[in-house]
Amino acid sequence: MAAYILRRVLWGLVLLVLVSALTFVVFYVLPSADPAQLRAGRSASPETLAQIRESLGLNESLPSQFWTFLTSLMLHADLGYSYFSGASVGSLLIDRLPATLALTLGALVLWLLVAVPVGVLAAVRRGTWVDKLTTGGAVLGISMPVYWLGLVALYLFSDDIGLIPLLPGAGAYVPLTEDPGAWFAALVLPWLVLASTFTAVYARLLRGNMIEVLSEDYVRTARAKGLSERRVVLRHGLRAAATPLVTLAGLDVGLLLGGAVLVETVFNIPGIGSLSYDAIVNADYPVIQGTVLLAACFVIVANIVVDILYAYLDPRVREA
Amino acid sequence: MPHSLVRAILLGVLSVTAALVLAACGSSGDDGGSAATVDSGKDGRRGGTLTLLTSQDVANLDPGITYSSLDLNMLAATQRTLYKYAPDDPSNIQPDLAAGPPQVSPDGRTLTVRIRRAVRFGPPVNREVTARDVKYAIERGFNPNVANPYAPQYYGTVVGADRASGGPIAGIETPDDHTLVFRLTRPTASLLAEATILPLSAPVPQEYARPLDARSPSDYGNHVVSSGPYMLEADRDGRVLGTGYGPGRSLRLVRNPNWEASTDERPAYLDAIEWRIGGRPGVSGRQVLDGEGMILGDTPPPALVKRAYQDARDQIVFSPGAGNRYVTLNTAIPPFDDENVRKAVAAALDREQMRRIRGGEVVGDVASHFLYPGVLGFEEAGGQEGTGVDFLAEPRGDMELAREYMRRAGYADGRYDGDETVQVVGLAGAPDDANAQIVDQTLQELGFDTNLRIVDASVYYSRFCALPRARVHVCPNVGWIRDFADPQTVLNLPFNGAYIFPENSPNISQLDDPAINRAMARGELTVGTDERASAWAEIDRMVIATAAAVPWLWDKQPNLSAEDVRCVPQLWNQGHCDFSYTSIE
Amino acid sequence: MSDAEAVLRVEDLRVAFDTRDGLLQAVDGVSFAVARGRTLGIVGESGSGKTVAATTAMGLVRGARVRTSGRVLLDGEDLLGASPERLRALRGATIAMVFQDPLSALHPLLRVGAQIEEAVRAHRDVGRAAARARTLELLEHVAIPDARRRRDAYPHELSGGMRQRAMIAMALANEPRVLIADEPTTALDVTVQAQILALLRRLRDELGMAMVLITHDLGVVAETADEVAVMYAGRIVEQAPAAELFAAPQHPYTWGLLRSTPRLEAAVGADLVAIPGRPPSLLQPPSGCRFHPRCPYVRERHREVDPALEPLAAGPDHRVACLLPEAERQALWARLAAGATPEQARAAAAGGSEEAAR
Repeated sequence: MAAYILRRVLWGLVLLVLVSALTFVVFYVLPSADPAQLRAGRSASPETLAQIRESLGLNESLPSQFWTFLTSLMLHADLGYSYFSGASVGSLLIDRLPATLALTLGALVLWLLVAVPVGVLAAVRRGTWVDKLTTGGAVLGISMPVYWLGLVALYLFSDDIGLIPLLPGAGAYVPLTEDPGAWFAALVLPWLVLASTFTAVYARLLRGNMIEVLSEDYVRTARAKGLSERRVVLRHGLRAAATPLVTLAGLDVGLLLGGAVLVETVFNIPGIGSLSYDAIVNADYPVIQGTVLLAACFVIVANIVVDILYAYLDPRVREA
Repeated sequence: MPHSLVRAILLGVLSVTAALVLAACGSSGDDGGSAATVDSGKDGRRGGTLTLLTSQDVANLDPGITYSSLDLNMLAATQRTLYKYAPDDPSNIQPDLAAGPPQVSPDGRTLTVRIRRAVRFGPPVNREVTARDVKYAIERGFNPNVANPYAPQYYGTVVGADRASGGPIAGIETPDDHTLVFRLTRPTASLLAEATILPLSAPVPQEYARPLDARSPSDYGNHVVSSGPYMLEADRDGRVLGTGYGPGRSLRLVRNPNWEASTDERPAYLDAIEWRIGGRPGVSGRQVLDGEGMILGDTPPPALVKRAYQDARDQIVFSPGAGNRYVTLNTAIPPFDDENVRKAVAAALDREQMRRIRGGEVVGDVASHFLYPGVLGFEEAGGQEGTGVDFLAEPRGDMELAREYMRRAGYADGRYDGDETVQVVGLAGAPDDANAQIVDQTLQELGFDTNLRIVDASVYYSRFCALPRARVHVCPNVGWIRDFADPQTVLNLPFNGAYIFPENSPNISQLDDPAINRAMARGELTVGTDERASAWAEIDRMVIATAAAVPWLWDKQPNLSAEDVRCVPQLWNQGHCDFSYTSIE
Repeated sequence: MSDAEAVLRVEDLRVAFDTRDGLLQAVDGVSFAVARGRTLGIVGESGSGKTVAATTAMGLVRGARVRTSGRVLLDGEDLLGASPERLRALRGATIAMVFQDPLSALHPLLRVGAQIEEAVRAHRDVGRAAARARTLELLEHVAIPDARRRRDAYPHELSGGMRQRAMIAMALANEPRVLIADEPTTALDVTVQAQILALLRRLRDELGMAMVLITHDLGVVAETADEVAVMYAGRIVEQAPAAELFAAPQHPYTWGLLRSTPRLEAAVGADLVAIPGRPPSLLQPPSGCRFHPRCPYVRERHREVDPALEPLAAGPDHRVACLLPEAERQALWARLAAGATPEQARAAAAGGSEEAAR
């Protein structure tokens, strides 16, 4: 097991290098904004522009810049400095991570808490109005664009501009350490919005899995043993049906930790997502690189964790 | 795109924006129907915290670097430049750090400024500001680690500036602690006096800033020291990053304990100003309209402008003199290398429609030349009437005249029949993309085959319009905002043949008219405010006559504030509420 | 068999499924009874309805689209009319079932011991420790070597034979009175098959259970069953004590089954005779005798008249549903048993022609 993890981690490191190289190339090759020009403004002379380029280290050749970046990262754990704010990229990432963590994990809890009972219920009461309602709800949840849903949520429920003032609106986020009550209240709408799509997807998925599992032989055996229907559905049915969901959740969390850009921008939550959005708009390359790497890290780690988790959950996989 | 489809789209756009059209009845032309445009800021209520909502972060905290209008607003509260504009007078400079009016020698080569006494730096520097601090502030602009964008342009004539790279500049003299003398190689002292309203002339303490300026790029911005009524909240060592400034998140200005009210005209009513960075303008705008103690730093979306204008008129200000907008025509490559073709485009464009689509009368005046209200020389160049050229006489466009010009260009039909496909690059986002569509449509009516691309603001100039090798023919969404009231700052860079660069080129039309270039060279060296106004007004007329670009709007920038905020707009700076004069009721 | 003796008695059981294509009659009037300590073997091809009959008896076949009628009496109590709670109490305690493929019939993600424990605790109020002890006891009882370690194994970690033993242990956890084994050896090797069958026999004797053994394999039936019921197209077509069925089978389908089974006693080089055709559609069964499309001895009348299950003249224990006269059937079987093909047997039976030469 240890050897397996080690192998995966090493391969993950290789992937990270590749990802950062790709980001590098994409940034410079595609028609994105030039950070030097953004900083210089339109009045700047070519000389000034050149000076700014120099000070930002943009004058070296691409491979040389990339090499500098790699070595400072690996030897000094230094991700560089933001062109825009002069703050170190590492400090920016650390500063923004708690909000994204809070948003992601809260949404995860919410969507699982809702999707699991709904999915099980829809499967067990298949064909009834419960099932139809949840399937319809699921389609709705999946098809509503998150950004739009966020705006609608604000215009309906936020206490400053909403029709029914219920919950704090955009920009209300405060760190947990500052005010737990306000922190929680500010995250409720974002959690709901972020969880909506996932709830729908997971409920549908679980419903499908459950229907399949409940027709399996071992469920028939469980019934033949005289177990209560509740035990059959949950301990035998859900246990088997949920395994793919757990691994999917792991991957989704890994992705979300890279930043739920849409929700963060609409609610103005200072997380990794809004950081990467701003960085792209401002052509702040070091920050872009930092957020991309962080997101890639999370995805890679999530994949490893999910693999291990799957082996833990499904003993049949362990032999392979 | 086929003709009929474009028409259909435009009709659709129009019918949508017709809903946005703000009726002419009831609104007078010049103040846009708003109650509080011109406000001197007297007798406000003291106290309170103003919250500013903005989607874009501060570009830079360093007064030696920063250049965007919102940042200028912040610096106006925290830094004292030699001269400044009062919020309600965008044309005439007032002494700020200076003790009196600028003394320009008759030959225009010497500028003498006396500094006020008893002005002190904020913590952690705390001492009195001297002339040497202004000297260092300007010198560091030439330091490659700072690389101030306009320093070479306005301070470049100072003796020794051409060799400057952060070290002392001989032409800036400080005979005593409170006197500054600029010796210039050319007679540009009048211009220099006005240029000091830009933040570069805000004093910077050398002993404190030098180690920070040694870093590449300079880190002074994260440790900036104030000289004005407010300062960025900082820790004991003066570091603002992490205290007063959270990148992409927040900014906090508090009172500068060392500010001496008797040395300053600013009333400074507010106790603190907080910036909340990152919200979407559509949402933030509504929060401002419905909330308390808030102002919006972004341009509000058209729907909100309409709503505010109809339901909360005293919460919206349309600040005049916010800049000009024009359509550039690439004079370097066919078909617009032909002056007659350019005049045809100018005649054909319906400038009223261009304005209507942005919201109608309240968003600005239909432009007929490049100098705009508030800029010196505006009246001399023709004012609201225009310079008198026939191809800009009709704001609604004159297609007959346009065809006449096409015929003069050699197209017998009055329509283009050549081989060039005209590349048009427009700006993404409403209503700019609609403006681009109208221009595109106009070109097609003149017979051009066009290829319209809509691109994001971050690449509009850097990868397209300001990049000559991109060979873009028409850029409909170009505009210019003055650096200060002197008309040179509006006409020089965009139309002087000396400013055609391989990249980041400000002269997008690539106009290179020797007569105009000479006139501009003379105009740079003209001494005296009135004389300069006349000289540059004449240049405005000359540029208009070439039709290198078609002006279509003199912007009035809409600004939103909450009900309880008495916003005092900076007419010299896009109408942003001046923190030092604004109060909360 | 009298009521007093029969532990499980099925009377005229009919099970139909309401499908999109129509009503599918899976079980069409099946009746049998099993006494304590006796084994009934139910034989038939796939699709004959044997599994459906058995699972319906367990009350596992329920749903909106299922129509059942008839009676299933367990110690006199009708299971078909019982409430779900009553059925749950009985299942796994009084009547238990062993399924065909233990790899799919055991939960893949739970340990074998845990699955047995829950069978115990579902019906008895015992603690975990007691249940675990009982599990160990059961596993040893079904002759699983190293039971203590195997208790915590997952199903995929055991061999096929051990898995089936575990399933049997699970079914017997609460000493049921009736055990239904649906194809318990089909998924196993031949050598293991014999062991499992022997185990089942032993357990039946020890616990005095009534056992129903469902299979398509006559060899299995020959070893283990006391009575045999042959099912075809949802019905029982022949029913007899085992010895008699093998000695004097009466139904052409049974003949086909016997003649198509490889037997050691047969002469080397003797051909296997398969039953031509395929099992009929249960949506639209054939008219008349259900077997007539595949019967080598079919007469005109057989297409119209549906034979009932009737006892033979020789004894009421032996029943058959066939329209051929008994004498004729005996003659046909005599020839078939001697090695003739169905065509030859038919030709010989149809009016005294000589036996065709080999």
